[in-house]
Amino acid sequence: MTSKGEQLFAYGLAAILLIVGVVCYASLAPEPPEEPIRLMFKTSAGKILFDHKIHTVEDGYGLACEDCHHEEQDESSSCSGEDCHGPDSEPTRADAFHTNCKGCHEETGAGPAECSACHMR
Amino acid sequence: MGKEKKLVVPHALFPWQPGKEGNKAEKRFIVAYGPHWHDGGKISTKNYNIVVAALPAVLMGISQYGAPALGVIALSMACAMVWEFVMNVVMGRSVSIGDGSAMVTGLLFGMLLPATAPWWVVLLGTFAAIVIGKQIFGGIGFNPLNPPLLALAMLVISFDGIFDFNEALLNYDLDFAMTYPLANLKAFGTAGIGEFGLGALFMGKQAGAIGSTFGLGLTIGGIYLLLRGYIRWEISLSFLAGIFITALLFNMADSAKYAGPAFHLVTGYTLIAAFFLIPEDSSSPVNFIPMLIFGVLAGVMTVLIRNIGAYVDGIPFSILLLNLANPLLDKIRPKAIGKVVENA
Repeated sequence: MTSKGEQLFAYGLAAILLIVGVVCYASLAPEPPEEPIRLMFKTSAGKILFDHKIHTVEDGYGLACEDCHHEEQDESSSCSGEDCHGPDSEPTRADAFHTNCKGCHEETGAGPAECSACHMR
Repeated sequence: MGKEKKLVVPHALFPWQPGKEGNKAEKRFIVAYGPHWHDGGKISTKNYNIVVAALPAVLMGISQYGAPALGVIALSMACAMVWEFVMNVVMGRSVSIGDGSAMVTGLLFGMLLPATAPWWVVLLGTFAAIVIGKQIFGGIGFNPLNPPLLALAMLVISFDGIFDFNEALLNYDLDFAMTYPLANLKAFGTAGIGEFGLGALFMGKQAGAIGSTFGLGLTIGGIYLLLRGYIRWEISLSFLAGIFITALLFNMADSAKYAGPAFHLVTGYTLIAAFFLIPEDSSSPVNFIPMLIFGVLAGVMTVLIRNIGAYVDGIPFSILLLNLANPLLDKIRPKAIGKVVENA
C-alpha cells in the first residue's frame, strides 16, 4: 500500500513525463540531414548498409555526385525509379549497383567486392 | 492454582491452544506481533533506487541521441504509469502507480528501444509490458515473465525494421562506428568487428538502444543495486559467466566466425540484462543453486541464439525462456524453513 504522498508524486511525475514525451515527439524531432549519412538497401540477398558520407567527404573517398548519380536528381526522384533502374529498366538497380560498387572497389582496391562482405543476411 | 501458563502465538490462526487440561483448556488467545522487524524499506524506495542506478546509462543515451531519446524514455515511463492506472481502475483495485513499479518497467522498456522508435511502438510496448506482462497476472510480484523483455520480444518479432539498429539510426553521425556490433558479427563474422575496441564499446561508443550501450554506467548502477541488496549477485554474475564461458567455447572452436567472450559482454543488451532485467524479483528464483542455474542457462542461451540462432541478440528470448523454467528451478533442493544445516 502506498502513501498518499507517493501517489500524488506519481501522478505529478506521470503528467510531467507525458508532457515531455509529447513535446519531444511533436516538436523536437530532428530534421533529416540534407545529404544522407548512411543508406539501407533492402534486397532479396540481404540488407546492405551503405556509408554515403564516407564516399563523398573530402577526407573519405571524395567522390563527386555525378560519379554515381549520372542523372541530375531532385528530391522526388529515386535511383530505383522506372526511368533509370526499375525492375523493367536496363540496367536494373541490382546491375547498376553491382557494376558501380564492385567495379570501383575492384579497380581501386578499396572496399568489399565479395557478396557476403556487403549483403547482411 | 499454580502459575497460569500463557502460550504466546504470533497471530490468532489456531482454533484452540492446549492448556493444563488438554482440549478443555481455557480458550485464551494472547495475540502478539510476529517475530519480525520491519527495516523501513518500501517497494517505492527500491524502485526509485533502480531509477537512480539506471540514470548514468540513460543520460549517456540522451546525450548521444538528443531530444528523441528523451522523448522515448519520458513517453515510455508515462505510458507505463497510465496503463497501470487504467488497469487498476478497470480491475477495481487500488491505484498502485505510487509504488514506482510501473515507472521502472517503463524506464527499462524505453532503455531497450532505439532513439527513433515511433510513439506508437512505445504505446504498444508499454501496453504489452504492463497489461499483458504484469497486470493480468495480478500486478507486482505475480508476473511470471519479465515485463519489459516480454514487450521487447513481442515487438521484435512483429516489427523487425524498428529494432534493426543499423536501419533505425541511419541519420545519426556520432564520433564512432555507427554500425550495430552484433549485426556486423552475425553477417560478417569476426572480420566485421575489427573496428570496435572493447574499451570504447564499454564506454558507450557503439550504436544501439538508448540505455543499453553505456557499459560502465550500467555496471556502476548494477554494483550500486547489488550493494543495496536490491538485486542478487548470484543471478547477475552467473548470467555473465554463462555468456563468457559459452562465447569462449565458440571462439575456441572457430575464431573467424565467433567473437570472443569479452565482445559479447559489452555489446547488445548484455549488461542491462545482467543488472536490471534478469534479477527482477518476480520472474527469477530465490534459492541459491536455482539462481546459479537460472543465470548460467540464460547466458548459454543468449550466446547460442547470437551465434547460431536467427536473431542478432538473443537476450529477450533467452531470459523469457528461463523465466518459464523459474518455478521448476526453484524446486531444486529447497531449504526447509527453520531447518539448520549443520554441515553446510
